[in-house]
Amino acid sequence: MKSLLVFGCLMILCVSGASAQMVDRATYLKEFQQRVKYLETAYDTSQAVGFYQIAAHYKLNSNIRQADSMFVQALKVPRGDMFWMFPVIGAYLQGVDKMSPETKAVVRNAWKTYAPYRGDTENHWAMYYASLFLAAEQWPNLPGSEWYNGKSSDENREEAREYLFDWARITTTIGQGEFDSPDYFAEYAISTILLAQFAQDPQVKQLGSMLSEYVFADFAAEHLDGQYLGGFSRIYQPAVYKPLQSTASAFAWLYFGTGERTTSGWILLPALSGYELPEIIYQIALDRSKTYIHKERKRVRNVIRYGDEKNPPVYKYTYVTKDYGIGSLMGGILQPIQQHTWGVRYTYGRPYTTIFGLHPYWSGLELGMFFPEEVKTLIADVVASKGTYNNPDKWTSASPFERTFQHKNTLIALYDIDPGTTAEHINGFFPRNLEERIVDPTGWIVCKAGDTYVGWYPLQEYEWKEELETPANSLNDIGRPQLERVRETGNWRLRSHKLQNGYVVEVRSKDEIGSFERFRAALKKSVPKRTMKPGDVSVDYTSIGGEKMHFRFPDERKLNGKVVDLSRTKLFEGPFLHAEVGSQKLTMTYKNKKRVLDFKTLTVKE
Amino acid sequence: MKPFACSALLLMLLPGFALLEARQSTVYVSVVSTKLFVVGAPNPQTGLFYQKTSDDTLWQHTGRNNIRAFGVDIHTPSRGDVLCIASGNGVHQTTNGGKTWKITTGWRITEVLSVAIDPRTANTIYCSTPYGVYKTTDGGTTWNERTNGMGTLFVQTVLIDRNNPETLYCATEQGVYRSDDGAATWKKTGLHVGGVRSLTKHPTKSNVLFVGTDDFGIYATSNGGAYWDKMAAGLDHVAFYTMVFDPTNPEIMYAGGYITGVYKSVDGGQSWRRMNDGLTNLNVHSIAVDPTNGNRVYAGTMFGGVFKSENGGTTWRYAGLGGSQVWTMTVQPF
Repeated sequence: MKSLLVFGCLMILCVSGASAQMVDRATYLKEFQQRVKYLETAYDTSQAVGFYQIAAHYKLNSNIRQADSMFVQALKVPRGDMFWMFPVIGAYLQGVDKMSPETKAVVRNAWKTYAPYRGDTENHWAMYYASLFLAAEQWPNLPGSEWYNGKSSDENREEAREYLFDWARITTTIGQGEFDSPDYFAEYAISTILLAQFAQDPQVKQLGSMLSEYVFADFAAEHLDGQYLGGFSRIYQPAVYKPLQSTASAFAWLYFGTGERTTSGWILLPALSGYELPEIIYQIALDRSKTYIHKERKRVRNVIRYGDEKNPPVYKYTYVTKDYGIGSLMGGILQPIQQHTWGVRYTYGRPYTTIFGLHPYWSGLELGMFFPEEVKTLIADVVASKGTYNNPDKWTSASPFERTFQHKNTLIALYDIDPGTTAEHINGFFPRNLEERIVDPTGWIVCKAGDTYVGWYPLQEYEWKEELETPANSLNDIGRPQLERVRETGNWRLRSHKLQNGYVVEVRSKDEIGSFERFRAALKKSVPKRTMKPGDVSVDYTSIGGEKMHFRFPDERKLNGKVVDLSRTKLFEGPFLHAEVGSQKLTMTYKNKKRVLDFKTLTVKE
Repeated sequence: MKPFACSALLLMLLPGFALLEARQSTVYVSVVSTKLFVVGAPNPQTGLFYQKTSDDTLWQHTGRNNIRAFGVDIHTPSRGDVLCIASGNGVHQTTNGGKTWKITTGWRITEVLSVAIDPRTANTIYCSTPYGVYKTTDGGTTWNERTNGMGTLFVQTVLIDRNNPETLYCATEQGVYRSDDGAATWKKTGLHVGGVRSLTKHPTKSNVLFVGTDDFGIYATSNGGAYWDKMAAGLDHVAFYTMVFDPTNPEIMYAGGYITGVYKSVDGGQSWRRMNDGLTNLNVHSIAVDPTNGNRVYAGTMFGGVFKSENGGTTWRYAGLGGSQVWTMTVQPF
């Protein structure tokens, strides 16, 4: 009886998502399987009718006839484009040997009569072509009349295959365009895991497996306690200020054992797939015994007008400790609408484990760079689905008037905003659950979040506003949070209305600097010198670590007198991930282990 | 006996009805979206719609739904058998009047903004995209990039000179480009402004073209693009998404754009006058004139559906597809 009780407690611990410990492979797999089992059971016993429940029934061989009936029902009014394609093929492939011929026929017919839209972003195309490839393999040798797009099985399979290999090529040569997205990580991981599990073509199967490792490794190197560390190409509210609400955090729970236990549908198909992470990836994700700097180079999503280059580079810099991470993109418009340029995230104080700042910008020009519709009506188009886009209080934004300069755990953000721009202010997010938020007479705002200390030096006058929050508990038709605002008080917004603006951010942990008082004392000695004139915005600052930083808007960065050349940034560089631009190769290292993904030869070497 | 008599009567009347039907033109419109369009969401029907000119507000849908149809072209000699839709998914094509459809482009060609079928042969088709121009000469089996001299520009529209189909024009973000060799090479014309949103050619005079721009109003050339003049008389707006000639009287032109409503010219584009009586949505993205009746004019709006005038634009009335963003329209004489 006692041993049963102990096992029960262990089970609760294993699936609860407490801070994960480094464990041996056998223990990891055992705990991973317990999490898988938890998810499978949750969906198998759910009363809801959906593709995930159907997939769970088939996988567990549970009430197959009911699953068939649910499948037929769920396919009656198809909708969702690529968000329909991947759960349908995922559920089908779980049950293909178990479902009735009639159910098979209904599924087959759906791929003839329902025409999914291919979409206009990288995640859409990944889902669309991964699903189409698997479907074309399942129903080979059919003429175009049997498919929604008029193409034969062979044509669909080859088009999808070609796209997937080209996507891998561009991703491993100049980086992902929709990179490091806590809310779109799922779309890539599901697509690649389904290919790894179900593709019959051995090369595509291998590609799916390697791409799965690639996206997970990318996440692992910037993972802390279930959170993705920013900046990000795309993130939604409220996940931007409640980091564990992103779908990437659901994957962190399933594959790293961190964050919070969840029954998110986004991880159900991966959980059913049997896909297991190589040991080195979760070791990279979990070992925070040493502080490190991780750099990345990604690419801007396709710029279709108002730019000289289709995919300009994006430079990302992240500093990671066991208590916090601070990460930044260099600034500018790198992705429309949902960019998160920089942020501090830490392990204390869920759910509001972050501090960040931004210029809430919107314009037809920004949208016209990426979308082909008419520039003068694009804002209205976008607001129809992303209601915060033209809201001056929004918490995600790209801005042409924002740049950052980060060195280790010190970050400078500068703004030189044109008059008349939407909007004519900058914002900072300070969560309500900080233990301290003190305004020092020197001007530093000094915050304590458990063992993480954050100092923020505003370069211009500002005001505090009580923050209203967007709810997370209601979802729209495509599973995203509704955007109606409700009053949930307590978080704080720093707002500054000066057009020439900026701030310096210093972050330290108790391990790094000792007491909070010592941190505060160190900040008092470090006051930035600034110039804030239109066309001449700059800062000279000596960090509390003694490093001299000079930053002049937009892109003049000097560290201890030497020019910082971001263009030399590699695809990945840090203690764990290594990849040269153009190499099509990613090397993972951890202690004495090494794992090389070579996309040119489609091989994995250890 | 009675049923037989009825049938016989119907048979006698049918040729007459068929003749009436044959005299009507067909209006085709491409609908990009409605206000609620979100990829992945349950969107209302978009794509290609058509009606006979007597159909009032009733429209038929053909082809696939939910495809963000930016453009449409009809191979007129085939009397509507060969149709192409420019869509976010690529070029959708039918060769049997819409009974079956196929996306003839592959993954590389996306966000297709316009399509143009060579009037001589339906096997030759051009399409424009944010990444340049593509051409097929085998009915869509293979498509090739055709950007020599132009680069991978944002090309809103590709236009064929139907009097000389080897000559083409492109409306791009960097001005207007011209090709005289079937898109093998392109040269920039003398237009010195960018953001060209629409392009139209005189029905009979090959060297007369008009363009509408996003920020600089309307320009015209009478020498095939070498020199352009700004048309300013009567124009109070700057963003023009559509311009057309009345094929029955090319001195008459119509133009529309961002909050412009419909402008009309009766002197070949030299001066303009707004004609918005009854037009309740002033964001006009497409205009078409019935080639069999120049007084019958259609205006496709952004999120307001279609409006129709039977008196050359003097008055307008709602003609259906409410809420739709009607990107392109054409009236065909069959």
